Amino acid sequence: MGVRKMSLPDRIYTTLNYTALLVFCVTALYPFIYFLALSFNDGYDAMKGGIYFLPRIYTLENYSKAFHNPLVLNSFFISVARTVTVTVLSVLLTAMLAYALSRKGLPGRKFIVFFFFFTTLFSGGLIPTFILYRQLHMLNTFSVLVLPSLYNFFNAIIMKTFFDGIPAGLTESAKIDGAGELSVFSRIILPLSLPVLATIALFVGVGTWNDWFTGQFFIQNEKLQPAATFLNKMISEASFESMTSSSGGSSIQNMNQAQMELRGVTPEALRMTFVIIITTPIICVYPFLQKYFVKGVLVGSLKE
Amino acid sequence: MVAREEVLPVAKRAPKNKTLTRIWSFRYIYLFLAPALIWYLIFAYYPMYGILIAFKDFKYNLGILGSPWEGFRYFKQFLNDSSFYDVLRNTLSISALKLLFGFPAPLILALMLNTISNGKFKRIFQTISYLPHFVSWVVVVTLLQKILSPNVGLINDIREHMGLDPIFFMGNPNLFYPLVVLSDIWKGVGWGAIIYLAALTNIDPHLYEAAQIDGAGRWSTLFKITLPCLTPTIAILLIFSLSGILNAGFDQIYLMQTPATLSVSEILDTYVLKTGIQQGQFAYSTAIGLFKSVISLLLIVVVNKVSKRLSDTSLW
Repeated sequence: MGVRKMSLPDRIYTTLNYTALLVFCVTALYPFIYFLALSFNDGYDAMKGGIYFLPRIYTLENYSKAFHNPLVLNSFFISVARTVTVTVLSVLLTAMLAYALSRKGLPGRKFIVFFFFFTTLFSGGLIPTFILYRQLHMLNTFSVLVLPSLYNFFNAIIMKTFFDGIPAGLTESAKIDGAGELSVFSRIILPLSLPVLATIALFVGVGTWNDWFTGQFFIQNEKLQPAATFLNKMISEASFESMTSSSGGSSIQNMNQAQMELRGVTPEALRMTFVIIITTPIICVYPFLQKYFVKGVLVGSLKE
Repeated sequence: MVAREEVLPVAKRAPKNKTLTRIWSFRYIYLFLAPALIWYLIFAYYPMYGILIAFKDFKYNLGILGSPWEGFRYFKQFLNDSSFYDVLRNTLSISALKLLFGFPAPLILALMLNTISNGKFKRIFQTISYLPHFVSWVVVVTLLQKILSPNVGLINDIREHMGLDPIFFMGNPNLFYPLVVLSDIWKGVGWGAIIYLAALTNIDPHLYEAAQIDGAGRWSTLFKITLPCLTPTIAILLIFSLSGILNAGFDQIYLMQTPATLSVSEILDTYVLKTGIQQGQFAYSTAIGLFKSVISLLLIVVVNKVSKRLSDTSLW
């Protein structure tokens, strides 16, 4: 198609196409630029409006206040600890599951696949899950932030499909040399699968980092609150300011009032700052894994 | 056959039977499976057993089995409750609107990206388009609330400069559905386009060459070659969307709803959460959740079957 000389309608089409895509990209990016500008601007000055691209009264005060607040710091510490734990464990465990499923001739394989697949179609639902956590004494502990996120069958399928593509000769010759399953898995399969491991690590890591729900409903202890949940509590306090909000966020309110007294920092400016801080790790990671996760999505969309 | 594979030989003796020999030779593979089997039994299958509380007057101290049976009392209760039908209507309305406007969006974006011949631009466009997918709904809703805020939000700030009155977007029930659909497209369109883009690169280039020789224009190529080649992909994605019609998007809706928009924004998932965890009506909430799960399961089985018959595409 490209070699042909462009006719007038083609040229019009191309121009419109580029313009539309450009507009779309601006829409996708602009909210973050807007927040970035606000996060570097004096909070009281920002209330006058008119800040769209660049800060008007530049300040680092918002970031300084955010990073000096024990609740904010703690929520990020919890999120980092949780994300690292879940990602490492989940990638390892999912790889083990995928390796087992990729073995041809495994007796009962069909039943085993159904055992896992069925859970993607049907689940116990919220309350039975809540009761389970309560019976296991997981509520209000770090374990509820970790254990339920360890497996996702779609991720296992993505890995299994990748493992299926590893030449059988490699593993067979290793076995002839006397390697056991564990060393085949750890010395051949895993080193050859770094792209898919990175993809799953990204999916699991981002999902865990972004999860606000678990912290909101299964954690009451503020010391265990992940950053996403903390941000959500900051928003709901804002949108229901006029209402007598029932959700317990008293110390957030106290924090906001304490911050308010300091010139230049408003609760809203803090929220903008928080959004930038929580989004930055994601923006720093995903573009570099792009070519891997694109493949991962495709495999995941194919049927088993 | 099926029941036997769980019989792991415990003692280290040579198995006699042929199947057992085979199972024995795979013993380490079963060890690789063991953590997953245990996890799924606890975190996926035990909650399914917990569904029993939908039929019980659940008390913690009596346990799931020990609590007294109530039969279908809670099902009758919600089926006789008019607010349940409001919730169901809201759920279906949001899903239908998302399907109508949100489903074609990634396809259109993919077709647009596909006509870009400059690889560098294409990659940059794509990278930017994935960004909203990777951020949490909490962040998206924060962005939305600030941009639409009546109190020096971006839009109202601009309106003020133009001499217009501010609008309280998030508190207006009439604007709730448009905002839900638009923000859903904003977040998901780039990610959704990945699958279509790959399907587009798999189309045989000879087909396009032949069409060009026949003098087919841009639009007839689109409708006679490109879209028919994408039909299996579209069908699979439609199966997913249709079977998720009772979902409507919990995170997004829960975070976007305000007391002022509850009449249009309460969906099944948020209703289950509020009646269950916030009001403690465990059995009632579980009954509604079960209703939803069963219908969703039936939907995916039926839609999958229909799709298999019509277009030979299916999930399993």
